Amino acid sequence: MRLVAQKLTRQLVLVPLVAVASYFLMTTLPLTTETEAKRQVSKELAASYQRDLGIGEPLGFLRPWEKLFRGERLGTSAQGITGDELLLKLSGSVGVGLMALPLALAWALGFALLRTRWRRGKWAALGDAVPAVAFGTPVFIPALLLAPGVVERGHMLPELCAALVISVWPGIFLGTLVGDSLETELSRDYVRTALGKGLSRGTVLRRHVLPNVWPALLDAVGPVATSLLAGSFAAERVFGLPYFGQLYVLAVLNKQVAVVVVATTTFASLLVLVSLAVEVVRYAVDPRSREATT
Amino acid sequence: MSRVPARARFGLTLLIGLGVLSLVAGRLFPEALASTCPLGMDPTRPDRTVCELAFGGLWVSLAVGLAAGALSTLIGLTVAAVARLTGGAVEQAILRAVDAVFALPDVLVVMVLQLAGQSLSDAGMGGGLGPFGLMVASLALVGWAGPARMFRNRLATLESQEYVTAARALGGGGVHLLRVHLWPALRPFALAVFLSRLPAAILTESTVSFFGIARMEPMSLGRYLGTSYAALIYEGGGRVVLPAWALLVLLVLGASLASQALQSAPRRAA
Repeated sequence: MRLVAQKLTRQLVLVPLVAVASYFLMTTLPLTTETEAKRQVSKELAASYQRDLGIGEPLGFLRPWEKLFRGERLGTSAQGITGDELLLKLSGSVGVGLMALPLALAWALGFALLRTRWRRGKWAALGDAVPAVAFGTPVFIPALLLAPGVVERGHMLPELCAALVISVWPGIFLGTLVGDSLETELSRDYVRTALGKGLSRGTVLRRHVLPNVWPALLDAVGPVATSLLAGSFAAERVFGLPYFGQLYVLAVLNKQVAVVVVATTTFASLLVLVSLAVEVVRYAVDPRSREATT
Repeated sequence: MSRVPARARFGLTLLIGLGVLSLVAGRLFPEALASTCPLGMDPTRPDRTVCELAFGGLWVSLAVGLAAGALSTLIGLTVAAVARLTGGAVEQAILRAVDAVFALPDVLVVMVLQLAGQSLSDAGMGGGLGPFGLMVASLALVGWAGPARMFRNRLATLESQEYVTAARALGGGGVHLLRVHLWPALRPFALAVFLSRLPAAILTESTVSFFGIARMEPMSLGRYLGTSYAALIYEGGGRVVLPAWALLVLLVLGASLASQALQSAPRRAA
């Protein structure tokens, strides 16, 4: 149990670290307001910069969070954000991510089955080519290809399309991983012994093989969650969804530094939450994890 | 070359072929490319053909990937070597830092670093880093954690080999062991790690450029698609998207195949 607590502490430490590091990085940036500067910064933005970041004040790094909790607006009036709006936008992105998760699992299952079938035939090379093509395809490309139908003609829900395009790579990645792991486990002696003792194939799979495949699947959840959330940035931009990814990109483009600090920390916290959930699930389903911690 | 697995050879050939193609087509004979492009003009830049923009973008994407991949591999290697040489609490602290950096999403951090770098450049404090250098530096600062972890683990495995124990027993110091005994065994792995960073760097750069955050000129593949995307939505621009996508996929496919094959190739005794 001590080891689990240690792992959790390490993950949780990441959140204040990201918050403080991003704050100090942003506050050291020069905000050019001179007319001869390449990029002019409006007076309103310069004022919000000073106001939001509490520069020069003791505990100034808490100022953005203080403002959010008070319900005040961070950033300029036109492009800033309040705490409620931030949560709303975050829930939009998480919603798209949650829609993408079952789709990714469906891709994974389909690909794992196809790969097993292809392996025996003349299509074996496809089993390697499909992951390479999926990995080499940034989310914005399928999004761009779907966009005319979605944005212009309104054929499908933009949220569903965003979920669909961001689920492809994680799905293929999971499918490859689970397929490989399943194949390895199915070739082990304990499976032959269990089948030899008269257990049905389904029972062997459920009782003996799947518990050994779980750890590989759990190892992949972290990268998949990051990929789903980061992928949603591009999909939201193409489909014009006004959620967290769009907020983040616009904050960076418009130099809304306080919003960038808060959004970066929020994103890191979300990933830490996913990681904590994975550790808890791992502790519950993987006996090796429990044995290692006692 | 016969020791290199067939898939790695295929990947490397693809990568080198694309590099040569982008150099020849995009840089050496741009007029020929402009006059013979079957895909026509770009809808958002009527003075350029799709081929010019795609092959020009391929060259930039490849250059960014190679430079960032090499730099992040070098940083990772240095961090791993320092961790193994110091050992104990320092190594643990370095590993925790590596884990922390590794947990952060690349695209997000690169965006923040681009914002920081561009603000410094605008204020005349960019240290001579242009948009290309800034992108390479951002990608390297984000991408070193993975290689560092892989190199550290591989070094730990190699150090447990008998020949290293023997060299240590004969009085070989840490740096000597690293330079004379470990590095020759680590070299093929370093190439594989470098190749594995290449697609990651190219894809991260493409995504960040697509958002319009990077200011690179000439444009990379991602920036090319990013600047045209609004028009593409309304003009049915598959003609513009598909060539750039195909080039991006081939680039990543070549690097991934070569990296995977080299990493899984049986290790010879050093």
